[in-house]
Amino acid sequence: MQLSAPSAVHASWPARIVAWTAALAAALPAVAAAQLQTSLGASAFREAGGPLSMTVLMPEVSADAQLSSGFAVNAAWTADVVSGASVAVVDAPADDVDAISSATVSDVRHVLGGGVRVGDHQSTWSAGYRYGFENDYRSHAFDIGARTELYDRNTALEINYARSFDSVCDGLDASEAVLKPRLTSSDDCFADGDDVRERDLSLQTFQAAWSQHWTGIFATQLTATAQILEGFQANPYRAVRIGRASAQEHHPDERARYAIGAGARVWIEPLAGALQPQLRAYRDTWDIRSFSAELGYEQTIGAGLRVRGRGRYYLQGGAAFYSDDYVLAPRGQYFTGDRELSPMRSVLLGAQLSWALPSDEQGRVLGVLGGLELVLKGDLLKSWFDEFHYDRVEVPNDTALLGSFALVAGF
Amino acid sequence: MQASRSSSRRRARWLWLWCAIASAGCATVRAEEKEHLADPAMSFRSGGAAQRHEEHVLDNREGSSGAGSARGGGCGCN
Repeated sequence: MQLSAPSAVHASWPARIVAWTAALAAALPAVAAAQLQTSLGASAFREAGGPLSMTVLMPEVSADAQLSSGFAVNAAWTADVVSGASVAVVDAPADDVDAISSATVSDVRHVLGGGVRVGDHQSTWSAGYRYGFENDYRSHAFDIGARTELYDRNTALEINYARSFDSVCDGLDASEAVLKPRLTSSDDCFADGDDVRERDLSLQTFQAAWSQHWTGIFATQLTATAQILEGFQANPYRAVRIGRASAQEHHPDERARYAIGAGARVWIEPLAGALQPQLRAYRDTWDIRSFSAELGYEQTIGAGLRVRGRGRYYLQGGAAFYSDDYVLAPRGQYFTGDRELSPMRSVLLGAQLSWALPSDEQGRVLGVLGGLELVLKGDLLKSWFDEFHYDRVEVPNDTALLGSFALVAGF
Repeated sequence: MQASRSSSRRRARWLWLWCAIASAGCATVRAEEKEHLADPAMSFRSGGAAQRHEEHVLDNREGSSGAGSARGGGCGCN
């Protein structure tokens, strides 16, 4: 998603959105009598330092209609509007921050999707589809899931499976990976350009979760996920310095990822709030191992007003083929310029404010709504990359801010 | 030999998990005791769109976060 200009293919996305909106409007009479919940929200992400910067705006609209007691449908649109300057050649000569080679980034990613949910008072089955597209990426994702509640609804078991068929734009192959240049533009992507080709990426994700109420003030959740990726997983725009020349980063095509998470909710009676600890461990076949620990606290402070604060610490080891300098210390046939594959750690501090407007005697909010909630959220993310440098320069853009708002209305 | 040990270990883990879930039936919380459990602060998924956006950012800013949930549609990671 870089150096892009709108192409004929991508010019059709506003038409698609109009078509989706028209379809939704046509379906509205059918759902008029249904229980409808809509959500409108947006987030802004900003990370900057030296010549590098990244700004991402993420608007989202979603609707969920309960058509009968056992049948519901949902639809959503979300986008990433990305702009900034990213590293072009990692480890190119750079004595100071301003000498880091960078390239302009600009793209818009859209994801449209919908799904159905059927079930009874005890179990739910769901299925969905999402289509994502941007200048240099296409994705078709299908998911199915099942959830059941047992033992007087004190135990909930859930399983999900997702399958995604993605296509990534890439440059033409060279005789050897170390001779392949990076992709410099997405202009000809998905348009039969002579200098580009499509590479496949297949993802399969399995997830299982067990939630349990142990007492009236203590609940836990155990989650396990496994993901198998097959196909092109490098960033086609990023090059790594290999000797005197640079080459597009070269990642293995196979990757299996495993994660397990354990969370708890503990009600603190004197404060009328809940403590929210969360632990997560991860490893994959690229030999990345990570651990994160999070502690949150959430409390109702007034009529419908809730506040949440939290802190999260993240620690990660590097990939087996990661090196800070592939000239002096090569790591086999693969090489990467991805700082997120190096050993790293980060701290996230966040706060969230939620306000559910009070209802009147008829249970309505503002006279017409079944409910209305406003959510404001802010996070600060600071990362440390002790073993990653742009030649001799430390990562300058290591601090990020994320702000979000959401409006959820029920009808 | 090593494969057999690994297989036994895997079976033991499944057995432990199955016993843990089965034992959950002993921890019955009656409906009238669930006042605090119904509070949104006791929910495990209460963040909505804001939480999804944060997970999307972390997926792209950490080498491991992607295994936590299923999603497609580009990486947004340049």
